[in-house]
Amino acid sequence: MSEFEPNIVAFLCNWCSYAGADLTGTTRTHYPPTVKVIRVMCTGRVNPLFVLQALRQGADGVLISGCHPGECHYLKGNFLARRRFLLMKNLLEYIGINPSRIRMSWVSASEGKKFADVITEVTEDIKKLGPLKSFKREIL
Amino acid sequence: MNIQKLKDEAKRAIGRKEVTHLIGYQKGSYGFRISPIFIETKEELDRLTFSPLCSLSLVNYLTIEGKPAQVQSEEEKKSKAKKVAIFVRGCDSRALNQIIAEKGLSRESLYIIGIPCKGVIDLKKIEAQFPNVVDPAEVVEENGKYIITINDQTHEVPKEELIADTCKVCQYPTPLTYNKLLGDKLEGNPANYDDIQKLEEKTPEEKWSFWQNQLDRCIRCYACKNSCPLCYCDGCILDKLTPQWVRRSVDTNENLMFHVTRAFHLAGRCVSCGECERVCPVGIPLMKLNRKMEKDVKELFDFEAGKDPEVKPLLNTFNIEDPDDFVL
Repeated sequence: MSEFEPNIVAFLCNWCSYAGADLTGTTRTHYPPTVKVIRVMCTGRVNPLFVLQALRQGADGVLISGCHPGECHYLKGNFLARRRFLLMKNLLEYIGINPSRIRMSWVSASEGKKFADVITEVTEDIKKLGPLKSFKREIL
Repeated sequence: MNIQKLKDEAKRAIGRKEVTHLIGYQKGSYGFRISPIFIETKEELDRLTFSPLCSLSLVNYLTIEGKPAQVQSEEEKKSKAKKVAIFVRGCDSRALNQIIAEKGLSRESLYIIGIPCKGVIDLKKIEAQFPNVVDPAEVVEENGKYIITINDQTHEVPKEELIADTCKVCQYPTPLTYNKLLGDKLEGNPANYDDIQKLEEKTPEEKWSFWQNQLDRCIRCYACKNSCPLCYCDGCILDKLTPQWVRRSVDTNENLMFHVTRAFHLAGRCVSCGECERVCPVGIPLMKLNRKMEKDVKELFDFEAGKDPEVKPLLNTFNIEDPDDFVL
């Protein structure tokens, strides 16, 4: 059997992380092809429902990435998201989902290398955990 | 609790020009049941009651006749706008505070009569001890015991046996906001999250199978959602069809989605009244989910819901110093 390839959904903010991911490509940095990118205008836009729904519809992990604290294009979106996803992560941990499946990172538009590192790290972690079966919808 | 004092206070409230009606408790049609009563005239005041059986929260009924008008301008605040009078216990007052903080209600449209509450009886527990009671029963609390009168026969039961689980860990028995307070202020219990911590320490597999077993039983009657004083949004994700976040099918996964979402929507808002757990027909320990959120919110952000109507809701604000160590 071939090695398990995780399926990771990444919500990237338009102003920092998406541009950062773009830079990773332009500088030809390699990173695992496990990530499906969804561009959002701000991490504050990411409703916790999106995360739950991603996990139920086949994702093994979710990454939310935005601007560094204090650098948000909308001034405070990433601060609000940070609070929200810390609570969400704790709640999911409480019902028995490993917290490394929900990750958050700050990647600015100039940190192409960091984006590659983040994706590598998240992929490695989820590879160790294996596929997420428990939270998946039986009928999609 | 002196019933006569309660009725006098209600009479005074109803007598005020600006008060349209009063929401209180009356005896239910049978057994240990209690139902809400909406009083508009002085003749109905005799039906008012309060006893340890009054476990339902009246806050939900504020919106039954249509939401009380929002009071916006300073002029409106000064003028005698129409008000609704309502009896509240400690937890209800926190719910009101929280709704006022979220601008769901205006403080100016409420006339709040606070009742310091020593805890209420869990209906499931008392009905298990005294099954098939038809005639309305009376319960009085005296020296740590409940004196229960059924058909002129009195029974004495220790308080510990019948009191609702949420009331055992109640931190705010005295209403935090009121126009009139009936009786003396009571001391609350210190915060105690031992049961939550116990569950937290289990392995992910144990936690998962625990919740799976619990939530498998859910029949999705939405009683928990409907009884919750803080679930008052006009549009709810459960009613939405595009996108349909939660399907109507009753299986573990959809149930989990519903309960996780519900718990998360109450993060930093739940006032621990225990209404959801009380009304659950299959006995899911929902407060274990809500109290987990309450514990986290308190430990991570030093926030408690419903303490002050002037404080902004938790998830609408942030602190630059918020914990950051989970971010890559």
